Amino acid sequence: MTTRILRRWFVVHKWTSLVCTLFLLIVCVTGLPLLFSEQIWDTFVGDDDPPYEVLPPGTPNASLDVIVDKARALYPGQIITSVNPDDDEPAVLVSMAPSWQALKDDENYPDRHSGHWIKFDARTAKILEQSRPADAPKEPRTWTGIIMGICNRLHTSLFAYLPGRLFLGLMGGVFVASLVSGTVLYGRFMKRLPFGSVRRDRASRLTWLDLHNLLGAATLVWATVVGFTGLVNELQTPLFGLWRVTDVRQILRPYADLPVPSQEHLSSVQAAFDTAAKATPGNEVTGLSFPGASFGSPVHYVLWTRGATPLRARLFTPVLVDARTGELTGAYPMPWYLRFLEISRPLHFGDYGGMPLKILWALLDVVVIGVLVSGLVLWAGKRKIATDARLRALGYDLDDGDGTAPADFALTPVEGAR
Amino acid sequence: MNAVSPEIPVPSQPVSASRHAVAVWPWPIALGLLTAFGLLSALLGQHGVWLALSWAALSIPLIVTVACLFKAWCRTPSVKGGQS
Repeated sequence: MTTRILRRWFVVHKWTSLVCTLFLLIVCVTGLPLLFSEQIWDTFVGDDDPPYEVLPPGTPNASLDVIVDKARALYPGQIITSVNPDDDEPAVLVSMAPSWQALKDDENYPDRHSGHWIKFDARTAKILEQSRPADAPKEPRTWTGIIMGICNRLHTSLFAYLPGRLFLGLMGGVFVASLVSGTVLYGRFMKRLPFGSVRRDRASRLTWLDLHNLLGAATLVWATVVGFTGLVNELQTPLFGLWRVTDVRQILRPYADLPVPSQEHLSSVQAAFDTAAKATPGNEVTGLSFPGASFGSPVHYVLWTRGATPLRARLFTPVLVDARTGELTGAYPMPWYLRFLEISRPLHFGDYGGMPLKILWALLDVVVIGVLVSGLVLWAGKRKIATDARLRALGYDLDDGDGTAPADFALTPVEGAR
Repeated sequence: MNAVSPEIPVPSQPVSASRHAVAVWPWPIALGLLTAFGLLSALLGQHGVWLALSWAALSIPLIVTVACLFKAWCRTPSVKGGQS
């Protein structure tokens, strides 16, 4: 590698790192509470669900049709928008609204929420809980809610919605570039140093540099994976949008102009769940939305199914069941780019290997913060020195005639000061 | 660039034993492979043993880091005095 190429890599590393460091510090710090958000909510807010009835194990679930009928009887004249069995509790959430039009109008009035929900016990079909009525005074926000909300929005979008998401995605890409260039520099720098040595008997700058190299090398692959999957996650809005205007539009075209049938005349919800489960072997059905929902078909139940293994748990396959006849229209595996997005989610969140994995994730995150901080210290410390002198001081052998000069001799003046 | 590397294969004259060129990549590659294995084993394996392997594999880079820091801070006390 010639001096010129090396200098270029150095400049690439310096600038890519400078551009993304501040934002990475933000996402690294806000990511820590998000990693443990479940535990934080449980500890500080607690589960406000009423206790579940104790029933003998193996008690079969009530038919979803019974639950749907009960919901309808409670709010006659309203529509049901979706039915979602809970992931880990024996509960079914039924969402309702005065009409599809009312939900659509809500988008223009940020204060209006005409949708509401009822939570049923999945086994007894008894009502457990209902959402607060829209005209009830707002529940005071808890500190936990405020802090977690701020962390979440800073982490995903810097409070800037879609532009913020795309910007952070770009920063993820810049971070990966900085990791690649850093790896190249590491290869040059560590030629004469055994792995992991942290020199503390010389200038403090060398200690910081060795720290930067050690922490960076130890977390390189983890940081690359989490940085890249973070980038992919930030692209989810455009990727889902792409799917919607291509495949989804194609599938729904034959039905697009049909009127939404009245909900009294729709086929069985329970049967639709069973049909979807049969259509996607190995998947579990996580929810159903009624015909007329903004992203769906006017005449189909849209059922969301997902894989049962950690790898496939976020791979959703939508199933269309004709709500007029109860017949299966089809299951539609997602395109490759959305499958890629779904697989990259667990690798970003670190939530697929229990508490120990989350703790390891947090520790690796802290080490990456160390890499960022040591990089900043190195940059701030030697800004005034010309690039070449700096390279020599860092211990690179420049190929311009003095390759034999041992790296640290460049620091003799500093050492002479002691 | 030429096909033949312009760089001299013999490392430039070492000043002391510690100045010998050392193998740069074995450690980072080993830690990288362990990390990759740890990330994937919990994701692909569904059984407890794969989870445990994942935890073990992902701990090793952290343990190595701490060991290096420990070595640096305990075995070579800072000898520089008074400088920033």
